[in-house]
Amino acid sequence: MEQEDIVIEMSHITKDFPGIRANDDVTLQLRRGEIHALLGENGAGKSTLMSILFGMYQPDSGTIYKDGEPVTILSPNDATDLGIGMVHQHFKLVECFSLLDNIILGAEDSRLGFVTKKKGREKVNALMDRYGLHVDLDKKVSDVSVGIQQRTEILKMLYRDNEILIFDEPTAVLTPQEIEDLMQTMRSLAKEGKSILFISHKLNEIMEVADRCTVLRKGKCIGTVATKDTNIEELAEMMVGRNVSFTVAKEEAKPGKTILDVKDLVMRDHHTKKNTINHVSFDVREGEIVALAGIDGNGQNELVQGIAGLMPIESGSVIINGVNVTRRSIHERIKLGMSYIPEDRHKHGLVLDFNLEEDFVLQTAKDKQFAKHGIIKKKDRRDYANELIEGYDVRSGQGSVTIARSMSGGNQQKAIVARELDRPHCLLIACQPTRGLDVGAIEDIHKKIIHDRDKGTAVFLVSFELDEIMNLADRIYVIHGGELVGELDPKKTNIKEIGLYMAGAKRDDRKGNQQ
Amino acid sequence: MSEAKENKKPLYRFVRTPFARSTGASLISILIGILCGFLIMLICASFANADPGEGFALLLAGPFSSKRYAASQFGTMLFYTGPLILTGLSVAVAYKTGLFNIGAPGQFLMGTLGSLLVALSINTTGNRGLGILVWLLAILVGIVLGILWALIPGALKAFFGINEVITCIMTNWIAANIVTWVFSARPDLMNTGAGKTGYLIQPSVTGNYTPTLGLDRLFHSGTYNSYLDMGLILAVLLAVLMWFILNKTTLGYSMKACGYNKEAARYAGMKHRFYIMVAMGIAGGLAALAGSLYYLNPNIELQWQSVYQELPSYGFDGIPAAFLANCNPIGVIFAALFIRYLSASGTFLQKAGYNKYFADLIIAVIVYLSGFARFFRERIERTQGIRDKLGVSYFGYIGWKCKRFGAKFQGCFSSKKQKEETTVTKPSDSQSEEGGKK
Repeated sequence: MEQEDIVIEMSHITKDFPGIRANDDVTLQLRRGEIHALLGENGAGKSTLMSILFGMYQPDSGTIYKDGEPVTILSPNDATDLGIGMVHQHFKLVECFSLLDNIILGAEDSRLGFVTKKKGREKVNALMDRYGLHVDLDKKVSDVSVGIQQRTEILKMLYRDNEILIFDEPTAVLTPQEIEDLMQTMRSLAKEGKSILFISHKLNEIMEVADRCTVLRKGKCIGTVATKDTNIEELAEMMVGRNVSFTVAKEEAKPGKTILDVKDLVMRDHHTKKNTINHVSFDVREGEIVALAGIDGNGQNELVQGIAGLMPIESGSVIINGVNVTRRSIHERIKLGMSYIPEDRHKHGLVLDFNLEEDFVLQTAKDKQFAKHGIIKKKDRRDYANELIEGYDVRSGQGSVTIARSMSGGNQQKAIVARELDRPHCLLIACQPTRGLDVGAIEDIHKKIIHDRDKGTAVFLVSFELDEIMNLADRIYVIHGGELVGELDPKKTNIKEIGLYMAGAKRDDRKGNQQ
Repeated sequence: MSEAKENKKPLYRFVRTPFARSTGASLISILIGILCGFLIMLICASFANADPGEGFALLLAGPFSSKRYAASQFGTMLFYTGPLILTGLSVAVAYKTGLFNIGAPGQFLMGTLGSLLVALSINTTGNRGLGILVWLLAILVGIVLGILWALIPGALKAFFGINEVITCIMTNWIAANIVTWVFSARPDLMNTGAGKTGYLIQPSVTGNYTPTLGLDRLFHSGTYNSYLDMGLILAVLLAVLMWFILNKTTLGYSMKACGYNKEAARYAGMKHRFYIMVAMGIAGGLAALAGSLYYLNPNIELQWQSVYQELPSYGFDGIPAAFLANCNPIGVIFAALFIRYLSASGTFLQKAGYNKYFADLIIAVIVYLSGFARFFRERIERTQGIRDKLGVSYFGYIGWKCKRFGAKFQGCFSSKKQKEETTVTKPSDSQSEEGGKK
């Protein structure tokens, strides 16, 4: 009986964008009271499909049925009228409003033009009790954590009596504890009869929380499976279209001469007058991958930006390829062979309003290869861009003239990786190189980084993912509170031990302090 | 009638190209702006003894408002366009580098100061060859002064991060006071003829004026020549040059990178301070050249005494010229021409009983609406999208829209269940051209 209770059916949906077919004859059925995951690589068309359901795009063909009745959804307002709500990846909250104001905003009661919040507050309180979703309604958005903001978004949907809840990559911004809470919430919502669509490319989360899973690949619907009948490997294969190995094979490192040498580095936050980096010394040699493990916010960003020249150094020295660059410009460091995959792709990595061929030459625009007497050689630049797009599988609507802003996050990251790996370099600083990428792309980038190492590049990898570090590193440093607290050999250690170092429970006094 | 057939029509495809959509949006903005202007004219007509019909006709006729002097008026309008193109470029180039150059009036004045000091101090009457050399020198001095002047806010922005808008506004007024102060110490440059006070002599008196290349006689009405000189040609050439620099050179590439994302430019090793200075320098040079070319025209004389009270409107008019053109250097040429065309009616509006500043008012409305161009573009896209989906003609779309609005309106007064029913529109399989009839 439950089988037939389909709330939403998106039938044979096709949507074209200039140069790309985002959805190709996709059919998706959502049952009442189920958690339905939508899985796919970056740019597979998940977000487009949900945007169509939410009325932000119109499908070129295909029909949406609600409770068996065909409906036309032309705007998010229509979607709300049909009981469809969405939690966006980037929350849509008014920062300076209280949580209550945000929840009732747009659906508030009013009397003689004045907002009356009493009824709203009662309703929200009842909802909080019913679903166990407690927040302090009088706090301002800017004062609460990301997890609470997400709860507010969920309450917003519940307040509007939505029956179909869409979650767009809800776990990307959460801590492990918050993720656990969210899973709990989703289960209790489903139990109460709400139907949930859950967009993700994190396989273990899908296995944990979803009842069924629809997989998209390059805009096509590959199939819908029940999670209890499948496993992670099978899902990964459906998503990527080939076998995915979660560990990358690599040979023994053959370290050569020292490329990056950091000596007794001190960096200071000029507002708090505290040392963010405290007497850090380490080196990276050619042909090896040195990873920096640590919990976010322990000085990784500062350390990397100090080495790259984006932040001032208080004392100590940074030596790249034998040249002391402590007081040198970023330009000189790049000329010495520094490549740098930044942690924030929107802030540092790309000029979002440039197109791909412009973004690919951000550091090399003036090189002889791309310019002559200050005039851009357009054709050479375009050929180079097409080469990178091909070689690194950067997917975009209009090829080399696609504006970076219009690309999906994963493909933006691929573009940065392509640029940094392809430029002649002897040092690669990779900060979270696979953040926000799906397993297929992660495997690709890991392979490329190892290949780069084998060519003799010194690689300095910063990551919050211990799996990634264990997979790639030849040596591991652990940072805690701005100090290096340990140097480990990945073959002789395990995740648990690194975790102890990261939490500051264990430290190796030989390292981290200046000998 | 069927969608597939319609798809093949060239017109159908053309109106869906990005170019057609954005041009259409701009035209809608201008049209609505003109209509709003007319509305204001109508309203004002009831206060004053004015004739809105005649006023509107005069406004649209621009320089052709006066039949007798149409040719010379048109030429003079072209002359006024030159400096406006330059100040528009000044704003546009700075904006592409992420700077809002509201200091164009000050730079304009510094150009005026430098050029007039040189051109009026050296007398070359009778020797046209030497006059042209001095004219060139005057232009150069003006540009250099303008560049240096613009580098003050530029350096403050680059090295201390001080907002350029604030420093630009301050340097504007400093420039205005400097101009009045310098000329008050030069009684030898005053035009004291015909009971005039506060005016400088015209560049034609000392012989160092902009070559007209016969353009002034090309547009003449009887014996009355227009003001047109080679300044317009220079301005157009510079617009093309700026377009080239911004789009085809590594300098422009780096400037735009700094403007769009300063942090990414820094990350890539670009010297963002340097490019801020370069952009302000170019902007200052362009605005200064506007001042030089305007006041080196043989017929223009500077009212130096009141400069400190009122900044030159050319500097500020550059802002609408740049934004109407979406900061595209080539577009600035046409935007400047359009603005000058409308304001050419200026004094003629008095014939219809309107103040001569009425043209400026209507330009302001149009510029204001140009900010909505994006909004209109999105409306066009949306309307076309819905029409394609429903497969209806434009009138069918309006009918559908009215029906939908009516349904929503009704829904406000009826129960929730009814509301849901009415907002659900049936798709096209069983519907007539009007859409959703059930």
